[in-house]
Amino acid sequence: MNVIRIGDSIISTRIGIAEAGRDGIKVIPLSGVYIPRVNDIVIGKIVDRSSLSWDVDINSCFSAHLPAQDVFGRDFSPARDDMARELATGDLITARIVAFDRTRDPMLTIQDRDLGKIPRGESMKISATRVPRLIGKRGSMIQTIEQATQTRILIGQNGIIVVTGRGPEGIGLAVKAIKMVEDEAHTSNLTQRIKVLLNVADVSPPQPQPTQSSSVASSVSLEPSASSSKATASDMGASQAGSSVQMAEEILEERQSTAAPNSHIAYSASSPSSTDHVSLPSSGAKGSNQEERRRKTEEQSSATNPTNVDTRKTRAGAKRVHDEESKEHNNKEEAD
Amino acid sequence: MSQTRSLIDKQGKRTDGRTAEQLREVKIDVGIIKNADGSAFIEFGKNKIIVAVYGPREVHPKHMAQPDRCVLRCRYHMSPFSTDTRKNPAPSRREVEISKVMREALEPALMLEDYPRAAIDVYVEVLQADGGSRCAGISAASVALADAGINMRDLVAACAAGKVDDKIVLDINDTEDKEGGADMPIAYMPHLDEVTLLQLDGILTKDQLNECVDTAIEGCKKVYEIQKQALMQKYFGNEIELKEEQP
Repeated sequence: MNVIRIGDSIISTRIGIAEAGRDGIKVIPLSGVYIPRVNDIVIGKIVDRSSLSWDVDINSCFSAHLPAQDVFGRDFSPARDDMARELATGDLITARIVAFDRTRDPMLTIQDRDLGKIPRGESMKISATRVPRLIGKRGSMIQTIEQATQTRILIGQNGIIVVTGRGPEGIGLAVKAIKMVEDEAHTSNLTQRIKVLLNVADVSPPQPQPTQSSSVASSVSLEPSASSSKATASDMGASQAGSSVQMAEEILEERQSTAAPNSHIAYSASSPSSTDHVSLPSSGAKGSNQEERRRKTEEQSSATNPTNVDTRKTRAGAKRVHDEESKEHNNKEEAD
Repeated sequence: MSQTRSLIDKQGKRTDGRTAEQLREVKIDVGIIKNADGSAFIEFGKNKIIVAVYGPREVHPKHMAQPDRCVLRCRYHMSPFSTDTRKNPAPSRREVEISKVMREALEPALMLEDYPRAAIDVYVEVLQADGGSRCAGISAASVALADAGINMRDLVAACAAGKVDDKIVLDINDTEDKEGGADMPIAYMPHLDEVTLLQLDGILTKDQLNECVDTAIEGCKKVYEIQKQALMQKYFGNEIELKEEQP
C-alpha cells in the first residue's frame, strides 16, 4: 500500500508513516485527496439532477451518482415521480458507495440503515486523511469534542463533516476544534490540547461506548462483525511493527482502534442523554413513507395496466423485498 | 554568445562570490497556500517562486480527460514585477515552452495511471527571477506535488550547470546566463537515477558536455536533500527521519 519496489529498494509513493509488518510494508499517507472505495460511507452534497439520477459532490476528483431508482424503487418513472421532492440541489446526504472502478464514476446508495438526507447542521470539509485522527482511539477524540460542545458530529470517510447542536456557540467551538485537529493531525498529544481548547477538565478518558447501536437515532450503523475482521486483518502488521516514535505510535494506534468499529462509517459518538437529538431521517419512518408511496404508485399502475401481469409480478416481488426491509427497520427501531 | 568580460576572478570566485561548484542558497517552504492541495515556496538564490498544485480533480473541459490516466497541466508564469523591466503578463513564447518542458520533466515522476479521468494542475508563479527559474520551479513543483499527496516514484530535483570563462560551473545565475558561454538545465530523479529534462543553450565540446552533466547532477542531488528536508520539516517538524529498528 503506497509503496513500490524498484530494484532492491522499496520506495514510498506518498508522504506518510511507514509500517513494517509481516505481510509487507505499507505507508499511511498524511495528505491527499479522497479516492472513493466501495462500501465507504460518505457525506455528499447534491449538486445537480438529471432525469434519472442526482449528481453528488463527495469531495473527490470523481463526482458520484445517486440513481433515482435507488430512492423511488425499480418502478421509478421520470414522468411520474418528482425527484425534486426527495432531494434538492444543495441537500446533504449520507450515502454508501456501491460501485466504483477506474472506468466509471462512483455510484451511491442511500437505502440502508442511517443513510439518507441530513436535515440540518453545519457542514465543513477536512482532508480525508485526517478522518481517523479526528475520530481518535475508540472514538475518544470525537467524543471529547461532542461532549464538551454539546454537539453531534457526523463524519464521512471522504472528509465532509456535519456538526449539529443546540446553540451556535457549541457548533462554532466544535468547528474550531475540528479545524485544529486537521491542522495538527500529525503532532503528538493532540487530545490533550483539544481538551485545553475546549476547557475540559482532564479527568479519566471519556467512557468508551462499545454499544454504540444503543444510542437512539444514532447516525451510525456500526457493523463490527463485518468491519472489524477486515480492519484487524490489515492492521495486524501494525501492531506487530510497533514504533519507537511516539507520534507515529499514536497515529498507528488510533488507526488500529478506529479502523475496527469505524472503518466505513459516518461516525457520531454522542450518548442519548448528553446531546440534543437531531431527528435524522429515522429509517423506520422513511421505510413506511416509501412503503406508502410505493403502494400508491402500485395502485395507480395496476389501475392503468390491469392486464400487464408480468410487471405486476415483478412489482409484487419488489414489494415483498421492501416489506422485509421495512420490517427490519421497524425491528431496529424497537431495539432502539 | 560571446563573452565580453571575465565572470570569474583571480581567486576563482564568480560574480556573486560563489566558487565553481557552489550552489546558491536554497530554501523551500511547504504548504504555504491554504486553498491548494499542495504548495511550496522556493528561494533559489534571488529567485522567488511560488507553486500551487490542485488535484487530482475533475477535468474541465471534459474532452481533455484521458480514460486511462490523469492529465498533468502545468503553467509557468512570470509576474510583471519579477524582472528588471516590466514583463507583459500575457504568456510569452518562452513561458509556453517552459510550461511544456516542466510538465514533461515532472510527468515521469508521477504515477498518473493511479488517477484515471482526473487532472492535476500545477501553477508556477515566478515572483522574482534571477536565472535558473525553470529549475527552481521544477524543484518546487515536485515538492508541492508530494505535499498534495499524489503518488510519485521519486522527487524531481533540478539544477543548471554551464560554461563561464571556458570553465564548467554549477548553478548559473542571470548574469552568467546572459554573458556566459553555455547554460544547461537538468532535471533529475536522484533515487531512480533518471534525467527528465536536459536543455542546452550554448556550445560545449564533448568533454565539456559530460563534465557539465555530471556537475548539474551533483547539484540536483544537493537540491534533493533540501527538498526532502523541507517535506520532513512540514510533516514531522524537527524530528529526524525515522530509522527505527524492530526488536
